[in-house]
Amino acid sequence: MKVSLKWLSDYVHVPAELKAEALAERLTLAGLEVEGLSHTGAGLEAVVVAQVVSVEKHPNAEKLSVVKVDCGEGGPLQIVCGARNFKSGDKVPLAKEGAKLPNGMHISRAVVRGVESFGMLCSAKELGLSEDAEGLLLLEEALKVGEPLAKALELDDVVLEVNITPDRPDALSHLGIARDISALLSLPLQLPEAPCATPPQASASHPSGFGIEIAAKERCLRYAACLVEGLTVAPSPQWMRRRLAACGIRAINNLVDVTNYVLLEYGQPLHAFDVDKLPAKRMVVRLAREGEVLTTLDEKARVLSAEDLLICDGERPLALAGVMGGKDSEVSAQTRKVLLECAVFSPVHTRKTAKRHGLQTESSHRFERGVDISQVHMALKRAAKLLAQLGGGEIAGDIFEVYPEEKPQRVLPWRASKFRQVVGHEVEEAEAARILSALGFQKQGEGAYEVPSSRSDILHEEDLIAEVARIMGYAHIPSLPPRMLRPAQLPEALFWERKIRQLLCGMGLSEVLNYSFAQPSHVALLGEKAPVILQNPMSEEMSVLRTSLFPGLLHNIGRAKRHQAESAALFEVGRSYFPRAHSGGSGAPPALERHEVAGALWGLRTGKRTWTAAEESYGFFDMKGMVESLLKALKVEGVRFEPLEEAAYHPRASASVWAGEERIGSLGEVHPRVAKHMDVPSNVFLFQLELEKLKLCASKQPRKCALSEHPSVLRDLAVVLPRACSHERVVELMYKTGAPLLEEVQLFDIYLGKPIAETHKSFAFALRYSDPNRTLADGEVNEVHERIVEEISTVLGGKRRI
Amino acid sequence: MQNHFQTLLEQAKEEIEAGDSPAQLEALRVKYLGKKGALSQGLSQMGKLPHEERKKIGAVANQVKAAVEALLERAMQRAEEAALKASLKGPKLDISLPGRLCRQGHRHPVSQTMDDIVDIFVGMGFEVADGPEVELGWYNFEALNFLENHPARDMQDSFYVSPEGFGENAPPMVLRTHTSPVQIRAMQASPPPLRAIMPGRVYRRDFDITHTPMFHQVEGLFVDTHVSMADLKGTLNAFVRAFFGESVKTRFRASYFPFTEPSAEVDIGCVICQGTGCRVCKMSGWLEILGAGMVHPNVFSASGYNPQEVTGFAFGMGIERTAMLRYGLGDLRALFENDVRFLAQF
Repeated sequence: MKVSLKWLSDYVHVPAELKAEALAERLTLAGLEVEGLSHTGAGLEAVVVAQVVSVEKHPNAEKLSVVKVDCGEGGPLQIVCGARNFKSGDKVPLAKEGAKLPNGMHISRAVVRGVESFGMLCSAKELGLSEDAEGLLLLEEALKVGEPLAKALELDDVVLEVNITPDRPDALSHLGIARDISALLSLPLQLPEAPCATPPQASASHPSGFGIEIAAKERCLRYAACLVEGLTVAPSPQWMRRRLAACGIRAINNLVDVTNYVLLEYGQPLHAFDVDKLPAKRMVVRLAREGEVLTTLDEKARVLSAEDLLICDGERPLALAGVMGGKDSEVSAQTRKVLLECAVFSPVHTRKTAKRHGLQTESSHRFERGVDISQVHMALKRAAKLLAQLGGGEIAGDIFEVYPEEKPQRVLPWRASKFRQVVGHEVEEAEAARILSALGFQKQGEGAYEVPSSRSDILHEEDLIAEVARIMGYAHIPSLPPRMLRPAQLPEALFWERKIRQLLCGMGLSEVLNYSFAQPSHVALLGEKAPVILQNPMSEEMSVLRTSLFPGLLHNIGRAKRHQAESAALFEVGRSYFPRAHSGGSGAPPALERHEVAGALWGLRTGKRTWTAAEESYGFFDMKGMVESLLKALKVEGVRFEPLEEAAYHPRASASVWAGEERIGSLGEVHPRVAKHMDVPSNVFLFQLELEKLKLCASKQPRKCALSEHPSVLRDLAVVLPRACSHERVVELMYKTGAPLLEEVQLFDIYLGKPIAETHKSFAFALRYSDPNRTLADGEVNEVHERIVEEISTVLGGKRRI
Repeated sequence: MQNHFQTLLEQAKEEIEAGDSPAQLEALRVKYLGKKGALSQGLSQMGKLPHEERKKIGAVANQVKAAVEALLERAMQRAEEAALKASLKGPKLDISLPGRLCRQGHRHPVSQTMDDIVDIFVGMGFEVADGPEVELGWYNFEALNFLENHPARDMQDSFYVSPEGFGENAPPMVLRTHTSPVQIRAMQASPPPLRAIMPGRVYRRDFDITHTPMFHQVEGLFVDTHVSMADLKGTLNAFVRAFFGESVKTRFRASYFPFTEPSAEVDIGCVICQGTGCRVCKMSGWLEILGAGMVHPNVFSASGYNPQEVTGFAFGMGIERTAMLRYGLGDLRALFENDVRFLAQF
């Protein structure tokens, strides 16, 4: 909300030595955050009120005039001007030589098409006063020639842009903000005068025959009106136009401007109906009928629902209550008599209607948050009086109203001890009393305060405490050093997550964080289960939650390739999401959220081509090796791999990863179809591990084994085997046969080709034999070694290669 | 016989002194001292000699053997020294050639920042808690005192989750708009006193230069019988000093969140311009980094705590913004593009 300091000074007199910036800071610290501060007169220092002496056509330009103006000093000044909306005798703003206007324009003496010009006559837009660029800004007759424009127009103002939090509808008005300032600075608050006697109990009808009926009492909490007649519609006076402009509201005419003015003053929305357009003379507040149509002031025909509230003249709809008036009963230049409406509508329902129709107005904004029901008469009287004054009319009779149920004000306890407990600081009883009373709270005996009706947000004792604390200032609260309850440790899950991040970084993979959103076609492509669907996604590409980290990683690889990278090695730690049946009433997390780590390798193993290594790309065994190394570092026991067929992977080069009997993940080359669809190279390798399962099989304990003092015996063995025989089978057989002396087998070469038959392959192994308690003799090693060769031959059909 | 050994010594001396490579010397050692060497052969003939003679010659032979060994030892040292010297000369490596690099991964700046923030609070005794990202509406809103149809709900534009796949009893669900629902789950899970930090992903329906539809927050909560705003200030001041530096100032100002009362926004002195005013702090000299406050009594009631018995503070901060301030980053969206050139900077 925009707030004029000049306007505020009507209600609270801030001492001149407190600069606007300092005041803004005080407000900000007290919860009324000032997000912007502008000096409205800035840039108008060399702009004065001038009077047009003569207007002549420019000799060399069709669209220009040569104007002579009196600016109060020296002789008339000659100005070349393009506008045409003025005549001799008019008063207009003149930017003199040397002026620097708010829009950054420098004014200097110039020759325009052969005619000298000694300044510029300005439009409202050029002066930064409004968006109006049509012609010059015509000034009021009464202004003094030669006077600085800023002074003449009361422009020496400061406008604050205040961010009002949703709990403070009372601060959506100058009076509300003035009240906070008066509490902050201990200054008296001056309410605007609004004399107009009203009987304590207003009648529901007016002597002229007007009446009010509320058919939806839970929606319309109070409806008051008064009539003003004998009006002449005209522009509002400069001061009012300027104040409205400062707050960002365009002046229209005295009728409309008064309602807006009181809105900004009290925070009370008002509406003026042209009485001549109310033949039934019955202001009826009722729910709309499904499908009923009302054309609102913005000229849109709105189809209403049975949930919308209408103001009607008898049966005929006039306005969408609390949101916007109707086109039909709008005031016009011919309006002579108006009915001023001052009502309070239910916040929740106003919000629903405004949302349903996508209509956020100054009025709905305030009703949604809660308008002060106790100030209805004050605001209405104020508006009626201003209207009568500015329109040359008079108030006809008293306010008439329907106020179905006047609710008692809330009373809340106030305890200094509770304040101390919550805030951690003492407040003197007198100071607390001063603050609360300045904010409009009334003391109700010892330790209790009545909440003003403007503060619908104050519901608990803590809310009172917060009021005192914010006015006192949080800066007064001491800062206590952190207290220790007990030392904390990272939870297991986070410990392993971090360990994994660290290990993968060490293996050359960089961490990415991708959005949790996914594209339905990608989920289908990966053959995953049905995803979690969003009702209101940002876009189709982000319309479901991911069921795998792969699409994100592949997308990252695609991006790297497009930017000419030669390689990418990436991983992400995050969640996949799956819907699951919910048992009603349970607080259990609704979706299955699987914590995972996944990675992708593509391109040159070394990242870039180097002279130290052959130019080799990442392959399946790099991916497998990384997973093996990772699991080894996490001390996972019983790791094995099984062939796998899953939609994400190439069926010839993929594996599931197991720890004992638990499947903990998978790895492999990307399926060519997936690669094509996602526009990534086909030689991308992926892995995925489930963190929750990993957490259970990882260990922080060292893998203990006795360190033998006795030398081991090393033997190499090359065997020729049928191609289909897996490495795993050979090694398993070797360990089985070689136990207990065979300590370790390591494959160090694979050979295919001549002289070996095409149906066969050669594996070369390094075998290590040892016994922890003694040095082995050659003979016994030979015996075991030969037995292994025999077994390979009988069981696997292999033979030693010589 | 005696002469034979003496001659052998003379001969060995001559040859050893002439030998200048370790290999030559090794050959000489074999020639004279080996199993089939000259000395052994000489000794093998002693069996024919009478006992007295044998004793005498034996002593001579041993003297000669010791002398040859000593000669060889000295010569060997000399030769090795010379060989080492020779090997140290010769052409140098072009040490300007690039080294064989170990491929090194990089941590994502957001996850790195998150870890650092979590560690500071763990150091102050905060446990780490976790909760779901697909959250029941009740935890995300009602339990946190966000009333249905209250304008406060406009503060966070939510993603709503379709009931499809959640069975007949599917409850209203959202992607959590903040980490605050974890507060409720943490309080439901364990009685006071409770001190926890809750990092994680959150979602809001916003996408521009300063908003991404997903981002990260860290939530903090401390509940005990006597926790006050003074504790809140002290804890957050300690955090700011640890994370941003000892000299960074803080400012606590009143604000509004439905789930805390009183509520505060915490600003730090602008780390870019040191408070003199710049574009990042919008010329104010202050940067908003945290929302905080005293846990609202309605939140305690919703979580099963008795608001008459305990007080507590809660706070929350955005990780991306903190990371951007720390690393001087301009565009939030770059954090989720995962460009390898961007990642390699960290």
